[in-house]
Amino acid sequence: MFGFVTVDKSEMLYKDFEAYKAVYCSLCKQLGKEYTFLSRFILSYDCTFYAVLALALEKDCPGFCKGRCKVNPLKKCSFLIHGEEALSKAAALSVISVYYKLLDNIADGGFFEKIGCCILKPFFSNWRKKASLKYPEIDNAVKTMSDSQFEVEKDVHCGIDKAAEPTATMLSTVLKLLIINDAKNSVMQKTVISNFGYFLGKWIYLMDAAVDFESDIKRGNFNPYVISYGDDYNSKVDDINSSLDYCLSEAFLSYNLLELNHFKSIIENLLIHGLPKKQKSILYKEEKIAE
Amino acid sequence: MNPYQVLGVSETASETEIKNAYRELAKKYHPDNYAGSPLADVAEQKMKEINEAYDTICDMRRNSSSANHTDSASYNNSSYTYSSFSDVRRLIKEGRLDDAMQILNGVTAANRNAEWHFLMGMIFSRKGWNEQAYSYFQTACRMDPSNQEFMSALNNMNARRTYNPGGYNTVGTGGCSMCDICTGLMCMNCCCDCCGGNGCC
Repeated sequence: MFGFVTVDKSEMLYKDFEAYKAVYCSLCKQLGKEYTFLSRFILSYDCTFYAVLALALEKDCPGFCKGRCKVNPLKKCSFLIHGEEALSKAAALSVISVYYKLLDNIADGGFFEKIGCCILKPFFSNWRKKASLKYPEIDNAVKTMSDSQFEVEKDVHCGIDKAAEPTATMLSTVLKLLIINDAKNSVMQKTVISNFGYFLGKWIYLMDAAVDFESDIKRGNFNPYVISYGDDYNSKVDDINSSLDYCLSEAFLSYNLLELNHFKSIIENLLIHGLPKKQKSILYKEEKIAE
Repeated sequence: MNPYQVLGVSETASETEIKNAYRELAKKYHPDNYAGSPLADVAEQKMKEINEAYDTICDMRRNSSSANHTDSASYNNSSYTYSSFSDVRRLIKEGRLDDAMQILNGVTAANRNAEWHFLMGMIFSRKGWNEQAYSYFQTACRMDPSNQEFMSALNNMNARRTYNPGGYNTVGTGGCSMCDICTGLMCMNCCCDCCGGNGCC
């Protein structure tokens, strides 16, 4: 994942922002606890969102307490008291997805990128092993994504939907893990969250494709938008915007059917303000630079 | 299941509160919002739950609002259109998308009419492959511009291609067009009340 899943702070209530920050800090702490101090630096907003969603589905409120930031000891932070399971899953997703991203970079990155990634690889490989022992399903989902992405990109006429399918399916599978099997309505909720994950994953993948549009053309890399829309970004930016909007619409429809117990206002902020704002800023700012 | 819980109101809620809660939920889960979406079935089921809960409460209370709620189940329009692909339509309805796709792929190029494109669009849309679906719907509408079914599928898709989160909240501003019979009746009732019966249209 790529850091697109962020909240819009200006549209948020202070208490929601505090809660969101507490999840962020707790995830960082969890990474340090389960892996090593170094692993704290792979903390991302995407995985924070995964943690928020996992906590939102839990029955009990996690509760908050005060503490100090380990990375910057001068800073005071809030942490969650409970919710270990949710945080642990999110931490596992963080290290696993970073590991496969690293492999991807080694496979088709630039020369220096390759060297850098090869140096880092042993650390990540260790963490990933540990995480996959605890959550083999997460490792499996991300590995499947990585493999099928490779397959998909071989197709020179690959359409937008097909290209986004691996990422979409991965997030769909990973989110489905958050629903407890014997819970009330669990079959229905699994369908709903899996559709939510599918379109959020598709959105994330397509956002990444939109960001890389120009650089992929230069380097001759695979990009589904270039394949489907041609290489003129400025004339197609509205089509790109529509295809991304569609994903958000579907995700929002799914969200409406999702039964959450907490943090609804955070997730709504994300869906209603955070994601569309990010989308607009990335799509249309790039246009200005290109001009 | 407790019908009050389904509507999210307390058992002591007034009739208006219940009506409002029902209306809000009906707007949210309305099948029109989910047409062609992979979650169409789930939304339909949810709508059914709400209708049942509302009906149960009305029956329990046995007051004048019972005249309205009998309309509530009528959202489910089973308008039957003549189709040369009725088996494909049935498979799509049952969620057997791969089987439906297989039949459609077996159709020779000469027989791929507007409906064929429309159904391909439906399958892709249900699968979450919206970009493919969009182009199939466009072709279907180009081949048969007079067909309401194809046109509404394309319109649904176009609506979703502009992200408007919480758009259903804006109904109070005179937008009854998106409501169908059940909510439409209530909206009309509501509009007339607001304008004091002075004739707003």
